[in-house]
Amino acid sequence: MQALRLARPRVSLRTGVRTVTAAANSSAAHAAPQTTTAASAIPLSNVEAQWERLSSEEQLAVHQQLEEVQKRDWKMLSIDEKKAAYYVAFGPHGPRKPTTPPGGSLKIALGTLGLIGLTGAIFATIRATAPPPPRTINKEWEEAANQRAIENKMDPLSGPSSEGYTGKGFVTHK
Amino acid sequence: MRTQMLAAVLRARPATTRAAPRFIRMSSSAHGQETFEAFTERYVNFFENAEDLFEVQRGLNNCFAHDLVPAPSVVEAAIRAARRVNDFATAVRVFEGVREKVENNQQYQSYLDELKGVREELGISTVEELYRQ
Repeated sequence: MQALRLARPRVSLRTGVRTVTAAANSSAAHAAPQTTTAASAIPLSNVEAQWERLSSEEQLAVHQQLEEVQKRDWKMLSIDEKKAAYYVAFGPHGPRKPTTPPGGSLKIALGTLGLIGLTGAIFATIRATAPPPPRTINKEWEEAANQRAIENKMDPLSGPSSEGYTGKGFVTHK
Repeated sequence: MRTQMLAAVLRARPATTRAAPRFIRMSSSAHGQETFEAFTERYVNFFENAEDLFEVQRGLNNCFAHDLVPAPSVVEAAIRAARRVNDFATAVRVFEGVREKVENNQQYQSYLDELKGVREELGISTVEELYRQ
């Protein structure tokens, strides 16, 4: 799809539109496909750049013009006529418009990484300014709590003061 | 009265005359398998008889929807059909479809080489040729 990007800069839309309609009128009037080749007024070379901005009548005019063009021998078509025919039929517009603009996925990836970094920074900042943990959350305090549980015969059936107790009791730190 | 007698006769029928049901069949082996040659012939015929652009594009959609790459004869018939209905864009699109269906660039290139004659005869450019910078 990258190949179908519109490299062509847009030149003077108003005159282009006028020539489209003029060319369509002239081709309808003459009803001879060969007459459409002569005029440099046919902006088929610029259809890709202006297609989105053309009104439906102008698009119809271009369609009819291209129909006439494609009836000729295809070896005689210019590259611009070929491109215009292909673009109007299968170009990236309407239902074939890409859902993300070119470079969009890179932008999304960078934005996601940036946001993740930002949240990490916020998290680190909050943690850095947080108060220290309570004095009861450390190994010494928990072992002392175990001692006190045994002294007070706490939970003698299955707890710290039961016979042959192998559990950790209150100790949660390694 | 008659129906009662009929029912009695039917009921009195000995059980041994009942045949075992014969409609058992393998559930996954009964589908018809179209060979690649038959497929090719079918679509060549289709494209040779296609009357208008809608038919051609419908046939292309169907043809390229299978799990195979259409044979060069099918592609040739399709682009000749596109020429007949005067639609250059469809002819270009056929090659784009082939590029999507083949496995690698080499296969695509061999399709292009195989169809070089008809491409030059009809004056068809591929998308790469059209948008080469």
